[in-house]
Amino acid sequence: MSNDPWGRPITRRSLIQRGAGLALGASAVGGLAACGVGSQKASTQATEKVVKAQVDGNLVYFNYSEYIDPGVLKAFEKHYNVKVTQAYYDGMAGMMSKLNSGNVYDVIFPSAEYLDRLRKANRLLKIDHSQLKNVNQALEFSPYFANPWYDPGAAHSVPYTMYTTGIGWRSDKIGETLTGSWADLWNEKAKGKIFVLDDYQEALGMGNLRNGFDLNTTDSGQLSKTKQLLIGQKPLLRGYSTDTVTNMTNGSAWIHHIWNGDIVNVRNQVKNPEVFKFETAKEGIPIGSDTFAIPTNAAHPGTALLFIDWMLQPENAAKNIEYIGYPMPNKDGYSAFSALVKEEPSINVTVEQLQAANKYQFRDLPQADLQLWNDTWTAVKAA
Amino acid sequence: VTASRFWARFLLPGGLWLLLLFAVPLGLTVAVSFGTTNELGLPIYGWHPENYKHVFDPLFVPVLWRSVLYAALTTLFCLLLGYPVAYTIARFGGRWKNVLIVAVVLPFFVNYLVRTYAWVTILSDDGLLNHILGSIGLSSVRFLNTPFAVIGGLTYGYLAFMILPVYAALDRMDPALIEAGKDLYGTPSRTFWHVTWPTTFQGVLGGCVLVFLPAVGDFVSAQLLGGPNTFMVGNLIQQQFYEGQNWPFGSALTIVMMAFLMVWMVFYLRSAAQAAREAAA
Repeated sequence: MSNDPWGRPITRRSLIQRGAGLALGASAVGGLAACGVGSQKASTQATEKVVKAQVDGNLVYFNYSEYIDPGVLKAFEKHYNVKVTQAYYDGMAGMMSKLNSGNVYDVIFPSAEYLDRLRKANRLLKIDHSQLKNVNQALEFSPYFANPWYDPGAAHSVPYTMYTTGIGWRSDKIGETLTGSWADLWNEKAKGKIFVLDDYQEALGMGNLRNGFDLNTTDSGQLSKTKQLLIGQKPLLRGYSTDTVTNMTNGSAWIHHIWNGDIVNVRNQVKNPEVFKFETAKEGIPIGSDTFAIPTNAAHPGTALLFIDWMLQPENAAKNIEYIGYPMPNKDGYSAFSALVKEEPSINVTVEQLQAANKYQFRDLPQADLQLWNDTWTAVKAA
Repeated sequence: VTASRFWARFLLPGGLWLLLLFAVPLGLTVAVSFGTTNELGLPIYGWHPENYKHVFDPLFVPVLWRSVLYAALTTLFCLLLGYPVAYTIARFGGRWKNVLIVAVVLPFFVNYLVRTYAWVTILSDDGLLNHILGSIGLSSVRFLNTPFAVIGGLTYGYLAFMILPVYAALDRMDPALIEAGKDLYGTPSRTFWHVTWPTTFQGVLGGCVLVFLPAVGDFVSAQLLGGPNTFMVGNLIQQQFYEGQNWPFGSALTIVMMAFLMVWMVFYLRSAAQAAREAAA
C-alpha cells in the first residue's frame, strides 16, 4: 500500500483483495484493522514531486461542464498535439467522491475551501511557479492571489475564476426590480417557478445569511433554524437544481438561486437576454474563487502544467471569460469581463470583495461539522 | 469423470463472476455500513451499528413510503400499458412478432439517463408538449418537476421489463385454450379473466417484480423530472455517497432497502415454485 501515490487508505485493488477475503470468510475485521484503513495520512513527500512543464501524455481533465471555452481547449490540443479527455462533476462533493474512489485526473478545478481541504490532506502537487510563463498574470493580479488564505504562497494552486452567488430572475414575468434580499426567493408571485441551488453549501449558506447567521455557522441550533426556514420555502419551490441555465432558458424558472456567471450563459442562449436579470442580496452573498490544481496521483502532471499556462495566456483567458461568463484574475485578460459587466453591472465580482468579505467565503469545515451540514441538508430535501 | 461433475465445471466461470462482482461488493457494502468517515469523507471500517439506527429516523419514513408508492404506481401503469401491448404482439403479431419485440427493446440501446433528459426537453414549460398544447389553443400545463413526471419517467423507463415476461407467457400459451373458452360460451371478457389471465399470471408476476424492484431504488427519474417533494430513497442513498460524503450511512440505507426488497423477491420465488409444482402435478 505504500506504493500508492495517493497514500490513500483504500485503493481499488486493495479494496477488492480485502473484499474477497471478507466474502471468503477470512478474518475480515482483523485484516482490515491490520491494514489500518483510514488511519493513514498521505505524506507531504507526495506533494513534492518535481515536474517539468512538458508533454508527458494526454491530459485527463476534470471540471464542471460548460466551465471552459471548448475553442481554447481545442487550440491547446492542436498546439501541443495532445488529446484532452474530459470528465465532469456537478459539484465539489461529487469531485471529492470521484477523487476518493481512486479516479486519476491530471487537472482539477477545486473551489477555495476544497482546495484548502485537499492541500491539507497532501493530495495536491506543489506547483513550481518557474514552470509557468504566464503565472504572474494571475499572481500579480492582486496580492490576494499571491498568498491566498486557502493556499499560502499559492504553492499548490493557481486561481481560475471568481464568482458570487445571487438571484437571477425574469423581468418579463415578475417585474423590473426585486427587493434586493434573499427573501426574493420566497416571492409569492413566482410560486412554483422558483429554484434553489441543489448544493448543500449554497442552499444552507443562503438560509444562514437570510437568518442573519454566519455563512459558515456550525451551531446546531442555528442550523436547525435554517432547516426550518428552507423547509418552509418548499411549497413555493419548483425544485432544487444546479441545472441553472437549462431551467432558466426552458421557462421552468422565473426566479433562480444562481451563480453570477451562469446568468451570462443564460443571456448568451436566449433571444431576449435583457429580461434575464441578476441581483445580489443585502444580507450578504457568498463570494468565492475556483482554482487550478494537480492531484498527487496525476499521470501527466507535465501536460497539466502546460495546460494551466495555456489558460493563463491573456488572449486565451479573455476568450475563456467571454465563453464562461466568469472573471479570471488575469492582468491582461480581465478586460474581457469588464466588457461583460458594462452590460450587466450586478454580475460583477472584484478581488476587493474577496479581500473584504472574508466572512462571506465558504470554509473547509471539520468532518463532524460537515456531517451536521449534510444531515441538515438531507433533512430539508427529505421533508 | 461422472456426468454431473463434468457439468459442474461449467459453474465455475459464472460462479467466479458472481463472487467477484456480486458477493464481494455486497460484502464491502455490509462492512462499510458499520464504519465511519475520516476527514476527507473516506470510509473507515469499524463497529458503528448506529448507522442502522439512523436509517429508521422518522425523518426518512415519508421518503421510504413515497418510494414504495411511486414504484407501486409505476408497476400498475406498466401492467396496464404493457399487458395489451404484449397481448397484441403475441396474438396478432404474426410474422412481425420478432420485429415488434425488437421495437420494444430498441429504446434500451440508448442510456436511461439520456432518455430521461429527453423527457425534460419534452415536458418543460416552454417544451415540446406545451408548444403543442399552445398551438391548439390550450394553456400551458406544468408537467415537469411533479410527482406525475417522476412516475411517468419510471413507467417509461421500466415498461419493457413488464412487456417481455408477459409476452413470453402469452406466447407460450396454447391459443386453443382461448378457443375452448369461447366454445364453452365464454364472453371475450370472461374468457380473458378465466383462461388467459390465470395462464399468464406467472408472467405478470415476474414483470411486476422486474419493474417494482428497480423502480423503488431509482434516483434518475426523481433527480431530473422531480420537484422539491419527490425525494426517493434512491436519491437519499445517492446523496450520502455523493454530496453527503457519508458512505457508511449510504451503505446502511442500501442494506436495509435490499432486505426490504428481498421480502418481495422471496414471495415471488415461492409463488413461482408453487406454480411450477402445480403445473407438474
